[in-house]
Amino acid sequence: MDYIGAGSFFIVFLVSLFIGMALSLQISTELASLGLKMYTGKIVGISIIREIGPVAIALSFAGRVGSGMASEIGAMVIGHQVDILRVYGIDPVKKLVTPRIVSAAIMLPVLTIIGDAVALFGGAYIVIFVSQESGSFYWSQIRAAMNFPNIISGIVKPFVFGYLIACISCYLGLSTKGGAIGLRRATTTAVVLSTIMIIISDFFMTQILFMILGMKA
Amino acid sequence: MIEFQNVSLMYNQHRVLDEISFCMDFSEKIAILGGSGEGKTTILKLMLGLIHPDSGRILINNQDITVLPEPALRDLRIYFSIVFQEGALFDSLSVGENVAFYLRERGEFSESDIEKTVRTFLRKVGIEEAIDLMPEELSGGMQRRVAIARSLAAHQPKMMLYDEPTTGLDPITGDTICALMNELSAGAPQQRSGLAIVTHDVPAAASVAERFLYLRQGAIFFDGTLEALKNTDDPGLRKFIEDILI
Repeated sequence: MDYIGAGSFFIVFLVSLFIGMALSLQISTELASLGLKMYTGKIVGISIIREIGPVAIALSFAGRVGSGMASEIGAMVIGHQVDILRVYGIDPVKKLVTPRIVSAAIMLPVLTIIGDAVALFGGAYIVIFVSQESGSFYWSQIRAAMNFPNIISGIVKPFVFGYLIACISCYLGLSTKGGAIGLRRATTTAVVLSTIMIIISDFFMTQILFMILGMKA
Repeated sequence: MIEFQNVSLMYNQHRVLDEISFCMDFSEKIAILGGSGEGKTTILKLMLGLIHPDSGRILINNQDITVLPEPALRDLRIYFSIVFQEGALFDSLSVGENVAFYLRERGEFSESDIEKTVRTFLRKVGIEEAIDLMPEELSGGMQRRVAIARSLAAHQPKMMLYDEPTTGLDPITGDTICALMNELSAGAPQQRSGLAIVTHDVPAAASVAERFLYLRQGAIFFDGTLEALKNTDDPGLRKFIEDILI
């Protein structure tokens, strides 16, 4: 929990802050040409909470935690620590995989909530100090975007992403073969596969959540 | 009794073991010799059911472990303890925690009992003072001694398996490890716990084992005593054991 959660805080903070600022800058620039700059908060809020926040933070999480899980377990396979567990009659899946899956599934939603908040503050900075718009109007639009469907969408997705990243990374770690080259292959594949699965599952989850929450495209 | 019957194993299109057959008692002191990549460590892993052969049977007390599910294998692995080449210590745990690992996993002992047991076995292998050190702070020889202490603390095995226990160690440390292996398998045959050592360090093998298997091209080329090994006519084998012929 500590490595996965608290240890990922800095990267999540940094990624979220700059994504929030970049997104706000892009949107406010485009909306300014239409004379709708004051609605930057609404679009930034919905984008961050529903889509960009969960996906971007999950991708950072896959890069940091997924690669860490695959390499750590892979090194234990190569170093025979996993064999030692089996010799002692300890199931490596229960001992090594289950705690990581539980931690990832719990901590990624928590990190996403924190990251979303940081991204929204980043967006606020751009709106207030660069676009010279009203901060209170920005925050009132953000509050309006925090409705039940958006919040559910923003929490369910990282839960699933956390589960997928941990499963993929642990599986590839346990399947490591062939020394340092095998370890490199397992780590790289874990990050690549996690990235692909995050993007694909995000699309299908969006569709499913739209159906469940009664939202229309 | 451990029995290999026509065991074959391929790895990456390379035949590692080719229909090998042998049997041994738990109380035997056996050395499995051979060059790199000849399948020596593979034999230990097969014995523990950590990997399965492509064909053939492996019997432990007349039970074919090649067809047993993992839970049943766990019951048979209790006969063995293994010390891997680099010790296979858990990096994130101290020496004391490594030795206590299995005792804590079992959850049957108080912390004071665990500490007493840990100190007893660390003293037995001569590194009680290292109890609070981390594995990265230990030399190769100390890591292997900790691994031996951990194996002994876990349970009293019928047979200790050593995978290249002296490889990469200086001669004096290697001798210390051999003396320790002999001490742990001391006693009258049939009453002691046996050992199987996998190595290409022939002098080390000669100092602990009573029976020698030599693997060549996936097959058992030689199976016999030290005297028979020294008297072999095969030039390749004589070259391999030249260190003990001098």
